[in-house]
Amino acid sequence: MTVLILTCRQDVTADMVIAKLHDRGVPLVRLDPADLPGEAALSAEYVRGDFYGHLSTDGRLLSMGALRSIWVRRPGEPAAHAEEPSAWLTAETEQALYGMLYSATARWMNHPCVSAQARCKPWQLSLAHRSGFAVPPTVITTFPRVARQFAAQYRDIVVKSASGPPPGDPPVSLPTTRIPPDTDFSGVAAGPTLLQQYVPKRADIRLTAVGTRLFAARKLSAEGQVDGRYGDTGQPWKAVDVTERIARAVRDYMSLAGLAYAAFDFAEDEEGLWWFLECNQGGQFGFIELETGLPIAEAVAGWLAPPSRDQG
Amino acid sequence: MRPFVLNYVLPAESPAVTLPYTYDSALQLNVLPDGQPAIVDRDLILVTGTTTSTAGSKTHFDD
Repeated sequence: MTVLILTCRQDVTADMVIAKLHDRGVPLVRLDPADLPGEAALSAEYVRGDFYGHLSTDGRLLSMGALRSIWVRRPGEPAAHAEEPSAWLTAETEQALYGMLYSATARWMNHPCVSAQARCKPWQLSLAHRSGFAVPPTVITTFPRVARQFAAQYRDIVVKSASGPPPGDPPVSLPTTRIPPDTDFSGVAAGPTLLQQYVPKRADIRLTAVGTRLFAARKLSAEGQVDGRYGDTGQPWKAVDVTERIARAVRDYMSLAGLAYAAFDFAEDEEGLWWFLECNQGGQFGFIELETGLPIAEAVAGWLAPPSRDQG
Repeated sequence: MRPFVLNYVLPAESPAVTLPYTYDSALQLNVLPDGQPAIVDRDLILVTGTTTSTAGSKTHFDD
């Protein structure tokens, strides 16, 4: 049985897992959907209730019937490398590729439909509440009056984007930013605005969940640092234990969301409480493994690989 | 009117890193000029930042 890894060629995080799969002797195919059609090719037949599908790339041929699992890591946009790329060709190629893969019986890490919902930050907050995490009070609004009331009630708040920074040239970033309560909120009417109570934190926590296996790392924050992804504090990531309460909440969240993999971000306050910030369904883990030695790539490889014979 | 959150946009830090490895389709791995898998050089991978959470990746959703 073969593992299919959908990712771009430059992705060295995928390399970390592929090396583990090589060590296990597991057959695998690495494909960038951007290479289809062109360097990669596919064919799928749907005839009288039967389904046969094949995918080829770099001289390898993969039958859908031999597919054990699919890891969606950093796939390029289908047909992006085509001789004459277009939005239409991308849509057609996406239908052909993912339609074929959805028709197979492989396990997904993560299924694209599940991932699409899991990326929705407001839904994440709702799910986090249901799973038992501590979640900072949050509002998303287009009413300036509501924003002013929220700021007056919670006083110390941050603003963040739900979907990330806007595209543009030159590129821009949009870090989570602390704002004073007397800010002019009139611009809230021009776009949904996510405001959240600021959590004074002593550390950032990155918890990577691979199936039911959990790997947590902690990094001390610099004084006044708001967004742990910006600014080098000089502090290293260190492995940290996961309490049973957090482990239960993570597993409930993963189950409710239908995720096989996720990277959770928490802010640890002065009392040691972990506040849920977000859950990244495709979050990076390489930097955590390289700094802490936590065996995350091995866990991903183990989840993707067929059960070994000695496991029965 | 400008959406409120865009008042807090900053210029992105330009990584401007030349990746010192290339893809080897036989191994299905990136390799260094000497043919070794790139991931054996832990320090190099950390310096290039290619395995790091960068916040708000629009293309790959992998913060």
